[in-house]
Amino acid sequence: MAESMKKRLNMCEGLAFVLVWGTAALVTATFCWLLGDLVWHGLSHVSWTFLTAPPENAGRRGGIGPILVSTALILGVCLAVALPIGIGTAVLLAEFTSDHSLFGRVTRRSLDVLAGVPSIVFGLFGNAFFCKTLGLGFSILSGGLTLACMVLPILIRSTEEGFRAVPTSYRLSAAALGLSRTTTLIHLVLPAAVPGLLVGLVLGVGRAIAETAALIFTSGYVDRMPESLLDSGRALSIHIFDLSMNVSGGDANAYASALVLVVLLLVINSTVSRLTAYGLQRKIMTV
Amino acid sequence: MNHPTCLRYVHVQMSACIVFSRQNILGLLVAWATLLFLGTPNLATAQTNRDQLSGKLVITGASTLAPLISEIGKRFERLQANVRVDVQTGGSSRGVADVRQGLADIGMVSRAMKDDEKDLPAFPVARDGVGIILHKENPVQALSDEQVIAIYTGKTTNWKVVGGKDATITVVNKAEGRSTLEVFLHYFKLMSMDVKAQVVIGDNEQGVKTVAGNRNAIGYVSIGTAEYDESQGVPIRLLPTGGVAASTETVRNGTFPISRPLHLITRTPPVGLTKAFIDYAQSKAVHDIITQQYFVPLAD
Repeated sequence: MAESMKKRLNMCEGLAFVLVWGTAALVTATFCWLLGDLVWHGLSHVSWTFLTAPPENAGRRGGIGPILVSTALILGVCLAVALPIGIGTAVLLAEFTSDHSLFGRVTRRSLDVLAGVPSIVFGLFGNAFFCKTLGLGFSILSGGLTLACMVLPILIRSTEEGFRAVPTSYRLSAAALGLSRTTTLIHLVLPAAVPGLLVGLVLGVGRAIAETAALIFTSGYVDRMPESLLDSGRALSIHIFDLSMNVSGGDANAYASALVLVVLLLVINSTVSRLTAYGLQRKIMTV
Repeated sequence: MNHPTCLRYVHVQMSACIVFSRQNILGLLVAWATLLFLGTPNLATAQTNRDQLSGKLVITGASTLAPLISEIGKRFERLQANVRVDVQTGGSSRGVADVRQGLADIGMVSRAMKDDEKDLPAFPVARDGVGIILHKENPVQALSDEQVIAIYTGKTTNWKVVGGKDATITVVNKAEGRSTLEVFLHYFKLMSMDVKAQVVIGDNEQGVKTVAGNRNAIGYVSIGTAEYDESQGVPIRLLPTGGVAASTETVRNGTFPISRPLHLITRTPPVGLTKAFIDYAQSKAVHDIITQQYFVPLAD
């Protein structure tokens, strides 16, 4: 009796072991396959010239220089707008609004709905509002602002979670020491909430840099080197989409561009997390 | 400080901070409005410049045409230092809508104009033709439309049935999203999911190589590519369709059935910069670009 139960337990454990490791292996293998395929087809085309030269013959030849610049500018506009508004809203929601207030509930529900809206809807909204109503036309500014709208819900919600994860005892202790609410927020709660902000930032940047649908109708298709934020500029993801789906003979450069995009994303993610971990340690030490 | 006082203290600080954060949001809005205000005059200058022979041309429409017109635009910019040509995509219908609303100076339409679009001045710049190719040593000389449909839907699987050798047919199809696929499906009135293919390929060159390397394969590619490769000794042969030989010549004069015109359109008869660009896009000076993008120039 005891023997058979032990056997069954062992079997259960074995099954769980296989399932857990199998799932993990599957996820890793998918990523490795994808990355391997990109490296295999794309690496031989990536060079310094490829990264700096303008595209030629509809992107079949030449490089992605202007496209990298446009992508960086779009991302810059997006973050410059989304970060202050995002952190501000998260502070308001987590620190100054009670969980059960109507305002808090309505705002949170709206953000959750917005986070699930398909990116093409943001693209059409951006085209109608930024490009036409505000008269910005197809421009890097329109693209960046549209991306900011798209990234904000994710950024706000995960930053808010970061604020909520800070123990209430921190705030009470600070109040007991006579620190003002603002001082507490800036020197104690904000640094402690950085991990949540970081998660939101990484998710947001990831979504923004890989975005195609929201950008094709806002920042546009022009692959010239942008001279101002009001110029149309082609993002890397749109370039990859165009080369692989619209330009026959563009596959090789599409692979190379996709490889650059993935590497860029990996670099950004690891830099952000390392920087923040460093900053977090220093900040809390000095308080 | 006892507990209730502490709470009250927190409360007071809290309301102060709400006011503070409201000011912050206001400040942001003001900054944003300033940004927009600064942005608008630049656009306005671009629009007044458009009437002179320098300025910015906005072209939107068919994604098929976008790479071609972009390349023509780049060459035009090199000739006219003060001109900027911005090409945006979104589909032929979008090109028509944007031109009608005045959002674009020129629209790109990769098909014949529909009846309710006949009021817009349309300027053909090139044609796109799709031809069926076999291996050079395949004895089949022609296929009727019904035979092609039967082969592509998997009803005919042996060359014997259509007068060839006893060998299994290898059907080569285009990947989803390729304009040649759309033109092909549209002509034979097929749906994408009806096609039973053994090989799915991306670009024209790949299609030519696949058929050249397999004696029992059938495929379809842009006629410009196929004709060029055939002349270079690649073992493929273009089949006639509907009794018309597949060649850039029959595509050019419009007799070849699986083809479509590629148009530039405007709202009103073009003048100034718009006219200059359309004239340039229709001129011989861009025929090499048209051929490079696997389209057929209209006249020599």
